[in-house]
Amino acid sequence: MNASILEITVIIFNSLFFIFTIFAIASYTILAIISAFETVEYMKKNSFVNYNEILSSIISPSISIIAPAFNESLSIIENVRSLLSSHYANYDVIIVNDGSTDDSLEKLINAYNLVKIDFLINEKLPTKPIRNGVYKSINPAFEKLTVVDKENGGKADALNMGLNISKNSYVLCIDVDCLLLEDALQKMIKPFLEVSDEKIIATGGVLRVANSCSIKDGKLLDINLPKKMIERAQILEYLRAFLLGRMAWSRLNGLLVISGAFGMFDKKIVIEVGGYDTNTVGEDMELIVRMRKYMEEKKEKYRVGYIPDPLCWTEAPDTYKTLISQRNRWTRGTIETLRKHRKVGFNPKYGALGLLSYPYWFFFERLAPVIEVFGILYFIFLIVLDDVRWDYTFAFISAAYLFTVLFTILAIFSEELTYHQYKKKGTGIKLLITSFLEPFISHPFILYAAITGNVDYYLKKEKGWGKMIRRGFL
Amino acid sequence: MEIYQNLIEYFENTPTIIQVVWIMSCVFFASIVILTIYLKFLRSHLRKNEMTVAEYQKEYESDLIAYLYSGNEEEEISTEQQIIIDKLKNCSADKFKRRIIVSTLLRLRNEISGEMAESIQKLYFQTKLVDYALARLKSKKWHIIATAIRELRQLQVKEVYDEVIAFVIHPKKEIQKEVQLYLVTLFNFKGLEFLNIIETPLSEWNQIQLLEVLQRFDDQELPEITPWLRSTNDSVVIFALKLAKIYNQFEVKDTLLELLSHQNKNIRIDAINVLAQLQVIEAKNILKSKFNDLSKEEQYAFLKLLENLYEISDEAFLLENIINEDFEIKFATLKILKTLRC
Amino acid sequence: MSDVRKIVLAEDNSTLSLLLKFRLEKEGYNLLIAADGKQAIELIEQHDPELILTDIMMPFISGLEVISHVRNKLNKQTPIIVFSAAGQEEMVLKAFNLGANDFMGKPFSPNELVIRVKRLLR
Repeated sequence: MNASILEITVIIFNSLFFIFTIFAIASYTILAIISAFETVEYMKKNSFVNYNEILSSIISPSISIIAPAFNESLSIIENVRSLLSSHYANYDVIIVNDGSTDDSLEKLINAYNLVKIDFLINEKLPTKPIRNGVYKSINPAFEKLTVVDKENGGKADALNMGLNISKNSYVLCIDVDCLLLEDALQKMIKPFLEVSDEKIIATGGVLRVANSCSIKDGKLLDINLPKKMIERAQILEYLRAFLLGRMAWSRLNGLLVISGAFGMFDKKIVIEVGGYDTNTVGEDMELIVRMRKYMEEKKEKYRVGYIPDPLCWTEAPDTYKTLISQRNRWTRGTIETLRKHRKVGFNPKYGALGLLSYPYWFFFERLAPVIEVFGILYFIFLIVLDDVRWDYTFAFISAAYLFTVLFTILAIFSEELTYHQYKKKGTGIKLLITSFLEPFISHPFILYAAITGNVDYYLKKEKGWGKMIRRGFL
Repeated sequence: MEIYQNLIEYFENTPTIIQVVWIMSCVFFASIVILTIYLKFLRSHLRKNEMTVAEYQKEYESDLIAYLYSGNEEEEISTEQQIIIDKLKNCSADKFKRRIIVSTLLRLRNEISGEMAESIQKLYFQTKLVDYALARLKSKKWHIIATAIRELRQLQVKEVYDEVIAFVIHPKKEIQKEVQLYLVTLFNFKGLEFLNIIETPLSEWNQIQLLEVLQRFDDQELPEITPWLRSTNDSVVIFALKLAKIYNQFEVKDTLLELLSHQNKNIRIDAINVLAQLQVIEAKNILKSKFNDLSKEEQYAFLKLLENLYEISDEAFLLENIINEDFEIKFATLKILKTLRC
Repeated sequence: MSDVRKIVLAEDNSTLSLLLKFRLEKEGYNLLIAADGKQAIELIEQHDPELILTDIMMPFISGLEVISHVRNKLNKQTPIIVFSAAGQEEMVLKAFNLGANDFMGKPFSPNELVIRVKRLLR
């Protein structure tokens, strides 16, 4: 009797894992195919767009770049210079100093000849109060710059302050330490302007890994492949996520996340839905889900745009410690967002959002690490029982491993055929080697971070803002 | 051989599921091997391609410059020029080389004006490159047609007007857009006639590009825009409002006032903004009388208008609205009151 | 050979550079070509030209930075003509504030440029 219960359990578990794997492989394959179509279409459409024709126009819509800064004293001067050197005509830059305890503000004041100005803030979104005031430059060369000094309230709170300050119709929310290419603004604004039969509520951009690239005066001079495996592994991860994953989701109009480090929004709608949520560490994902939900409820046709061009370069974590803390936070952000909006999930009222995007995120982002850990535990359990068919195990593991590598190589192909950023000889083979090693070198740590993220979430362990070395952005 | 036999035997004796998994593994592995080899090939191809392009570009660049400087007064085409023409004509039989030649011509054509620009255009005809562009107009692929129209525009080939205008109501909006840019770039305001016939929306991106092109001309004599302001295509109305604003079309103020009761809210708002810029006092009275029936955005726009056009008689209205619950309305009225009383 | 007057031309469009090189060398000047602002600054420091022609928008170091380098770092009063594309009016103003002597809006006629060069080098 005992034996049969055990046998049945084993069969059930086996089939569950098998079904999950098949679903995962199938959905990844479908995503890859869709992304291939979308990429070809995108490249065709944009091969002959002359962005210069719009960048200079003063009738082009106004954009605010909002960049929250917290203790960025070391690099803030350089970074602001990079944000100020965009080629778009009609934009301004709002730096929100979120209660920094270092000398960021003094440095900005000195470097950009800032003076305090009278500024009446229309508090459309509630935020922590202003600390020292609002500053503008007396040097006409920096007239685009506004610096707001406020009490510390976290990234979401700082972004909300920026939204209150901005007088422009569109906002680009960006991490202050990102390097923005000069034509980023006109490329990101394009989806908003060229679509006339539906409402574009936001546009997501791509993040690229800037580690080891040579950068001078806020400009990208040369693109290099970093030396450390942990950095290379993240390059592949980003290529997979942005060039295959998001490209496909944008085709399906199911994008659920826009990188917190680089996304453009229709300000009016962001304010209508109440701005960023200050109670989550996943404010970037949460905002998009809420905006989508709002549009679904209003029954208006809408879309979240996506621009795959490499426009924004950022430093990725280069130690396991920072990588783990970053991924821990992303995990908590995902769980919080999905829980907060669980009403949307599997709800046909919300169309593709409820029936496609949400379930995908739930199963393959939220639950995948949990399932993986259960799989490992179950496997150990079988070893203890001495009930392992090693040849079956080997078959499953090799299929899963090879599929992962294959998917990564597809991402590399996608990059080569579109943007071909890593031009140097020998880089191809290094990327290939990394794709074979990645499942062993970075995946265990990411899995570990996801699990501790789950544990932290359920044990409600508070993690302070100041602890963050890099803010989440994928 | 024996190992092979054993493998077959093993495979036949495993359950179907495991068989499937093994087959999948093999398929994945084979694809990885193929892709790895192909990646190597692709990368060196891309690298080589980039170098070849640079080489050819350099060659054609000097050909082009040589052509431009080897003309003389006596002959229509000098001997040196004829040699270059023949060479480029031969090269352009090859698609890859043709693309590089055209891009070289364009790179220079876009930057210079005057006699030399005209010579480049002449060369474009002499080398028969124009015929290839015209042939591409007959393609079935939309992006080939669009790039052909773009090429004809950049080289200012007015002679193909009839061929290009045929695409003006093409269902693919990328083609439509190129046609519109062609018309406006080459025929200035006269090119805007397409506004009379388009039924699909003119995107904002497109409108901005067209206005940019128009502003580059010396001749800024705007044609009659009233029909466009009355168009049934809302995006045409919005575009015409932009024209009215940029070119200060005070003559159309009556039509603008009519638009204050248009059914499209965005049109009403834009109309208020244009009227504000033109300082049309009648607009103020119309809007003030129905202020409370306006949408929020119209109210904001109206207050902007009032900022320029307020009179003492507006004081009562302003006082009424300093207690408005909307921050921006309150703020704007206070601001106007302040200037009014100074 | 000291009577050959040197001109540094900074322009990222190589076809245009080549055209202007031919045109101006026909007038008896010696043209040194830079493809970006960085090269331009190197050439200027090396050759101390009598005139500088620079595009405003260039990769890596913009024309504005070239002007500022010449005027503020090298403390030279070498005449500078800037090239600008349509819509860069704001940039042109900045260029003049930094000390540019003349500007030409693209597209321009090479003959017109020769006239302006001659005028500045008279």
